[in-house]
Amino acid sequence: MTFLDRTTDARKFRHWEGDVEADYIYTSGVAGERFFVALRDEGRMLASRCTACKLDYLPPRMFCEDCFAELTEYVDVPRTGRVAAVTVAHVDRTGAKLSHPQVWAFVTFEGIRGGLLHRLLVAPKQARAGLSVQARLKSRDGRTGTIVDIEGFEPVRSRF
Amino acid sequence: MRVGIIGIGMTAFRPSTPEYNWKELMFEAASRAYADAAINPREDVDSFITCAEDYYEGFGIFDEFVPDQLGAALRPTCTVSGDGLQGLANAYMQIQTGLIDVAVVEAHSKASDVVTLDGIIEHALDPIWNKPLGAHPFVVAGLEADAYLRGTRTSPKALAAVVAKNRRNGLRNPLAAYGAAVDADQAMQSEERFAPIRALDISNPADGCVVLVLASDRAAKKLHADPVWIRGIGWASDSPSLETRDWTAATYARIAADMAYRLAKVRRPATDIDFAEVDDRFSYKELQHLESLGLAKKGEAGTRVLRGDYDADGRFPVNVSGGSLGCGNVFEATGLHRAGEVALQLRGDAGVRQLDGVRVGVAQSWRFVPSATGAVAVLGAGP
Repeated sequence: MTFLDRTTDARKFRHWEGDVEADYIYTSGVAGERFFVALRDEGRMLASRCTACKLDYLPPRMFCEDCFAELTEYVDVPRTGRVAAVTVAHVDRTGAKLSHPQVWAFVTFEGIRGGLLHRLLVAPKQARAGLSVQARLKSRDGRTGTIVDIEGFEPVRSRF
Repeated sequence: MRVGIIGIGMTAFRPSTPEYNWKELMFEAASRAYADAAINPREDVDSFITCAEDYYEGFGIFDEFVPDQLGAALRPTCTVSGDGLQGLANAYMQIQTGLIDVAVVEAHSKASDVVTLDGIIEHALDPIWNKPLGAHPFVVAGLEADAYLRGTRTSPKALAAVVAKNRRNGLRNPLAAYGAAVDADQAMQSEERFAPIRALDISNPADGCVVLVLASDRAAKKLHADPVWIRGIGWASDSPSLETRDWTAATYARIAADMAYRLAKVRRPATDIDFAEVDDRFSYKELQHLESLGLAKKGEAGTRVLRGDYDADGRFPVNVSGGSLGCGNVFEATGLHRAGEVALQLRGDAGVRQLDGVRVGVAQSWRFVPSATGAVAVLGAGP
């Protein structure tokens, strides 16, 4: 076959069906370990602090993006955050249509560099940026020390 | 030393390419580029650079699979794990060293070979903090689109205008896979996917290959070429962490543009540049990128696209090629295609979509979801 003589019937061509075996364990790292153990055992969320830049990182990390210092201090993330961006997904992770759309949000916290991407536990019509939210955690028994120990973020109920 | 593009080779962009394997796709684009430059790769080229990501290819150590189909066997080759425009920057620098006179840059997509494309893209999400949540990777684009539209008070109608413009532009590009007479209402009414992103706001995958031949001014003269000059080039990466990056502006594009403009001595991009080819793999990205490149003020790109400023016959044509919405998402070949398109326009070789009197154009790339990496090249017509 040349450039001048191209076949367009795909069925005439041989192909080989292949897959790539690719299974991993991903270590959480020093800062990740601190976060996930505190989340699992105490239901707390931690940020790592850069004392030089006066920055608290969420997710916590052991190095500062700005000054490259090693970070060893940890502080609590405020309980209440704010929805900074929101989207409603109508397909699942494989691209298949969802019968019930999922709401996703990027949640930020006062004084914290970063935030968390997670489920927003509201109906799609109620999904909007600016909502005040708190993490809803799985029960202590169900927590294993991963990001899905958080079920998602839900609006803060008014106490009045 | 000046560095110019002396050869352009592109295959058509198509939803699938059953008759060629990926090596043959590269062979076709390379053959076209070498014919365009009137060179023999076995004698005239000093260095070959390919741009690829193993996961998109489906096998490991892609650079080992390169040389034969480019005429590069037993010659200096290397692979940049990034967009083709980043490969172009590397070739530019190699020639600037004075050690290399002629360099070839290649990038391609054989996306139709990938059975689980969503899964491959999902692999780019952070495996500890993001991927376990189980969201489709385009959720990242949905969140960014929401932040961009609200942060700049841009109307969703502007996204539909981008879709209609680029799909229609694709009709005038014989290489485009997805040219179509789509109007803004159709785009606004297409299925919701990752609100505010709808089905037609997302570019569809395509196969294709782009090869460019670069030469120093001295080598270009020796080869009797009439180059399109790379006046400036730059690249940058924002924090890879979704949590700490800028969600409203494409900061990577602004920094890459600053670098390219500095080299090209472009002080007022909005007036010094005649037209642009920018990454539009989601419709909002075109508007966000134009603002980050200094080609529109913050929040103005949306009103300008609605006014028709970015049409092929508008005040500042954007993505006359059809962009990725019209041509298809060719993954790592996306930026190199745009550089090739800008070069074709500056040579006066853009066929029915040729723009009148253009002297300086800009090509911009982004490395797709969930990256925050981009590159910018400023190209100029000779002499």
